Amino acid sequence: MALNVRYVARETGTNLRRNFSLTLASVVTVAVSLTLFGAALVFAQGVGNMTARWKGGIEFIVFMQPQASQEQLDSVKSTLEDNPEVKSVTYIDKAAAYEEFKQLFARSKDMIEAVDQEAMPPSFRVAPSNSDADVIAALGQQFEKKAGVREVVFAFETVRTMQRVTRIASIVIVAVAVFLLVAAVLLILNTIRMAMFARRREIEVMKLVGATNWFIRVPFMIEGLVQGIIGAVVAIIGVQALNWAFDRGLSNNRDLKIFQGFVITGGQMSFTTLLLIGLGCAIGALGSGIAVSRFLDV
Amino acid sequence: MIKLENVTKIYKGDIAALRDANVNIDKGEFVFLVGASGSGKSTFIRLLNKEEEPSEGRIYVAGKDIGSLNGWKVPYLRRNIGYVFQDFKLLPNKTVFENVAFALEVIGRPAHVIKSQVPAILELVGLTKKVDSFPGELSGGEQQRVSIARAFVNRPLILLADEPTGNLDPATSVGIMRLLDRINRTGTTVVMATHDRGIVDTMRRRVIELDKGHIVRDQSRGVYE
Repeated sequence: MALNVRYVARETGTNLRRNFSLTLASVVTVAVSLTLFGAALVFAQGVGNMTARWKGGIEFIVFMQPQASQEQLDSVKSTLEDNPEVKSVTYIDKAAAYEEFKQLFARSKDMIEAVDQEAMPPSFRVAPSNSDADVIAALGQQFEKKAGVREVVFAFETVRTMQRVTRIASIVIVAVAVFLLVAAVLLILNTIRMAMFARRREIEVMKLVGATNWFIRVPFMIEGLVQGIIGAVVAIIGVQALNWAFDRGLSNNRDLKIFQGFVITGGQMSFTTLLLIGLGCAIGALGSGIAVSRFLDV
Repeated sequence: MIKLENVTKIYKGDIAALRDANVNIDKGEFVFLVGASGSGKSTFIRLLNKEEEPSEGRIYVAGKDIGSLNGWKVPYLRRNIGYVFQDFKLLPNKTVFENVAFALEVIGRPAHVIKSQVPAILELVGLTKKVDSFPGELSGGEQQRVSIARAFVNRPLILLADEPTGNLDPATSVGIMRLLDRINRTGTTVVMATHDRGIVDTMRRRVIELDKGHIVRDQSRGVYE
């Protein structure tokens, strides 16, 4: 089909310029929807990291002394396992505790350097079968006096609230984002339809002189793709900016200590970036694909 | 070069534009299609270009049965067929040069081919001085010359012309016909639908007359009536 890169670039550029206001509308819609989507994702990841050890119904954690003996560990373990009020127990050894510590304090490098794996307290994460606060408190306190136990930490009410609020907020934000994504697809579709209308005479001549269907289609498809990608790039910048602002505003706030564990790992950020680019391409391809197949009679 | 076998074309609502047409046109022939408006001349031309599909019968162009041609091959068929219209169909925002170059560009011809072929064809149609003009700055006859240049720049085997002089005065029409005649002498088969009695009677070429979709006359060196 001998597609000429310069030809496609020129035609796509002309189309984008000719319908500048519509193009801008599509790009902005893609950008806003993807920013919301990305922000919801990043926030959920951050809260997930922050409250990782309180997942799965864990209500309290029995921290052992780092130098606790094997007998002391076994004793606490069997007491927990034999207790009918306890639904499940998870043992976190020193290595696992150190990994978690590193993630939790990813922001303070000197803190990580100051501590080594041997100093980490092993712990038991306990999910009780009864969710009543008094029962849980009584259950946990039994272990405070046991040999080798350093302390018993209960799930903060704030952690529970955080998890709940985050879940609801994420669902709402993602729902709004999905609506906007649909709007973005429709806007791209219309922009391309306008571009086709503006070029209908050229398309007619192209067909009559024997231009292949793909030759006619490709500039319009690339136009949609470009809109999606520009929107995604703007969204990525937006998400990074939000993350930065959040980092500065909340994580350094001494009154909201819990947010010090709010950290997005590099891997998670790369994942979000790739996801947004992928979604941007998908939106652009979908919008232009529908437009080309429905309105371009080639 | 062109063969119609029992071709019938019926549009929606039982309107027959062509009925059981059998025509054989050899390479290098010049054929006039004559008949009243609605007699089926345009349908005849549009069938050859596969803009329309016949309801019945077979059509061969350059030895190929175009009825069995895959959709994606149609553009390659059209590269062998130049097409000239009554209303020129030039692109108003492109210059004369660009209008002709466009036809080569969109079928993927490289730039150096365009640079050499476009001036050559514009010289043939006598528009060397107008290369940078826009269609709106040209007379009707000049616009039709651009349109012919565009149709012929790729050196097609066949040139289809649907009332190419329909919008032109008689004197200008003579010039256009000289040009088509010259193109025909290079071996290109020309099929031209027309109402222009004067042209048909002067040229004395093969005449196919259509009446309500029927071929009522097929005469070599014929006249309009």
